[in-house]
Amino acid sequence: MLVRDHMRREVITVSPDDTLAAALRITRGHRIRHLPVVLGDNDLIGILSDRDIRLAMPSPLTVPDSEQLSYLEKTPVAMVMTREVIAVGEEETLEDAAKLLYSHRIGALPVVDASNRVRGILSETDILRSFTRILGVSRPSSRVELRLPDRPGALGRALIILSEHGLNIMSLILPPNRVDGMKVAVIHLETIDPREAIEALEAAGFEAGWPSLAQDLRKLDVNLA
Amino acid sequence: MEARSPPGFSPGGHSGKPSPEPPGSQLRSPDDSSISVKSALIWNESFRSYRFQQDHPFNPRRLEMAVSLIEALGLIDGVQHRMIAPRTATDEELLRVHSPEYVEAVRRLSRRGAERSEGEQWGLGTEDNPIFVGMHEATARVVGGTMRAAELVVSGEVDRAFAIAGGLHHAHRDRASGFCVYSDLGAAIAWIRETTGARVMYIDYDAHHGDGVQGLFYSDPGVLTLSLHESGRFLFPGTGFIDELGEGEGYGFSLNVPMEPQTEDDSWIGIYREILGEAAAAFRPEIIVLQSGVDAHVLDPLAHLRCTTRLFEESVRITAEVAEEYCGGRMIVTGGGGYAIWRVVPRAWTLVWATMTGQTVKDPIPRSWLDRWEEESPRMLPELLRDPADSFPPVPRRTEIEATNRRTLEALKRTALPLLNNRSRPL
Repeated sequence: MLVRDHMRREVITVSPDDTLAAALRITRGHRIRHLPVVLGDNDLIGILSDRDIRLAMPSPLTVPDSEQLSYLEKTPVAMVMTREVIAVGEEETLEDAAKLLYSHRIGALPVVDASNRVRGILSETDILRSFTRILGVSRPSSRVELRLPDRPGALGRALIILSEHGLNIMSLILPPNRVDGMKVAVIHLETIDPREAIEALEAAGFEAGWPSLAQDLRKLDVNLA
Repeated sequence: MEARSPPGFSPGGHSGKPSPEPPGSQLRSPDDSSISVKSALIWNESFRSYRFQQDHPFNPRRLEMAVSLIEALGLIDGVQHRMIAPRTATDEELLRVHSPEYVEAVRRLSRRGAERSEGEQWGLGTEDNPIFVGMHEATARVVGGTMRAAELVVSGEVDRAFAIAGGLHHAHRDRASGFCVYSDLGAAIAWIRETTGARVMYIDYDAHHGDGVQGLFYSDPGVLTLSLHESGRFLFPGTGFIDELGEGEGYGFSLNVPMEPQTEDDSWIGIYREILGEAAAAFRPEIIVLQSGVDAHVLDPLAHLRCTTRLFEESVRITAEVAEEYCGGRMIVTGGGGYAIWRVVPRAWTLVWATMTGQTVKDPIPRSWLDRWEEESPRMLPELLRDPADSFPPVPRRTEIEATNRRTLEALKRTALPLLNNRSRPL
């Protein structure tokens, strides 16, 4: 869960002397929204977002004259780029990077090394993709939710029951939110048939749902049995 | 009691829809009661050896019960509709879709006293796929059954073949999963591709996503896979979403319709008819392979759908129509999931067989069959082949569920059909 495992390494950068018109072509051509601005040996000196470019463009509501149109060709990136760049290191955690993006309301973080050289970029989309992978499945599995008291040993007891049923855990997510002293774990079990394990968990006093506590589909068919 | 038959499927057939007869073709209208499909049911008792443990849900008892019901109803006449024995698949056949290391591991683990801890990396020795003595041979026989079905259909000896023990759609190239060790479906499709070059349409209406088969042909534009299943958000294996469209050359040749839990017959059948028709029109298959798992039934304990036996009868009929239109009738059907083994599976597969072979069958189940199985059954066995229309209470959220399924279908069609149309080989 480190930034280096989730960032994109192929970074498209611009130099401060490039024109806004050139930068605009790059963002449109590559469908990206952020261009780190670098000098020399990839030294990060600024960042240019598509919003920065759009703010420098004539309004679409007016009919621009030819002089206005040539602004984009004449203005260097350095004029409108953001100089105080919020960047992140490769060894920082994905969750810290996500927090930075979220709390500063920005769309991308350049990833830099100790000498402030650009090594990669991590955008909102990259983080969403990574979280989608973390929350999703990589191997065939069944999703089960488990309500747990928030105290030592509760998760351990549940896991022992799963292990006694020979079930491998593909993923386990235990968000810290508590409701009435309880937390809810989302577990993907590598089995097509989690019924026996769930029954054993319930027999041990846990509340479990397949696929979720709110919509445990086992209960729907009770009247048909 | 009068059997409820879907329109156009009542004995004698009177859908009124004339079926086009291309010049010089032997195509028959599936609605015509005089049709004479030649068909084979691949079965003998050796299939009983694909058996994990006493109480394992993938129990060969379901096969025996289904075959004995098919026989009791006179649906095997030994002339047009024959029972044909399986054979064992060769290594060459297995190796078309599995790695040599995997086949070797399965073989090693099948021997008495094998070191079991090795199984884990191959998905074996788990709760779902316990290791058993003779596992390699038993699974190779399941593959051989589906191979036999494919050979009979490809050679033209029969039009339709039902490899009832097959349908192991979760088996991967080098990993067992979800009760499936070797991919009989994959081996048969790969053989058809290699020997005939025919475009194969693989259709899968098992309640679980057909991930194994999809994965084996994910980059092959000669194999169109179409799976309808309970959404991976709710059910094993957790895949089969509409954005799984294939890769590389095969991009656009994998289609998935994830259905909401509690989906009922009408919603499922409507969507099945629509996507099957449009996908076939774009792809123009030359042979159809249908995985007929019957766990979408409301009584099935391993899924959360609410369909009835009508689903299987209608789906097979729709598929047979597509086979008639594009494939000269050629259709290979396999079994698959289905875990309500007493009350559903025998009836469902009997209806699959009757429908695919164009035989009409009345509703009452012979007393002799009920007598034979009732003693062992933990529940009362239904006495009618088809679920009567009012058997199960309607779902309160029906409108919402239908609307969600419809949105899923529209979203899939928007992205996938243009791709499939553009990328399918020109005539």
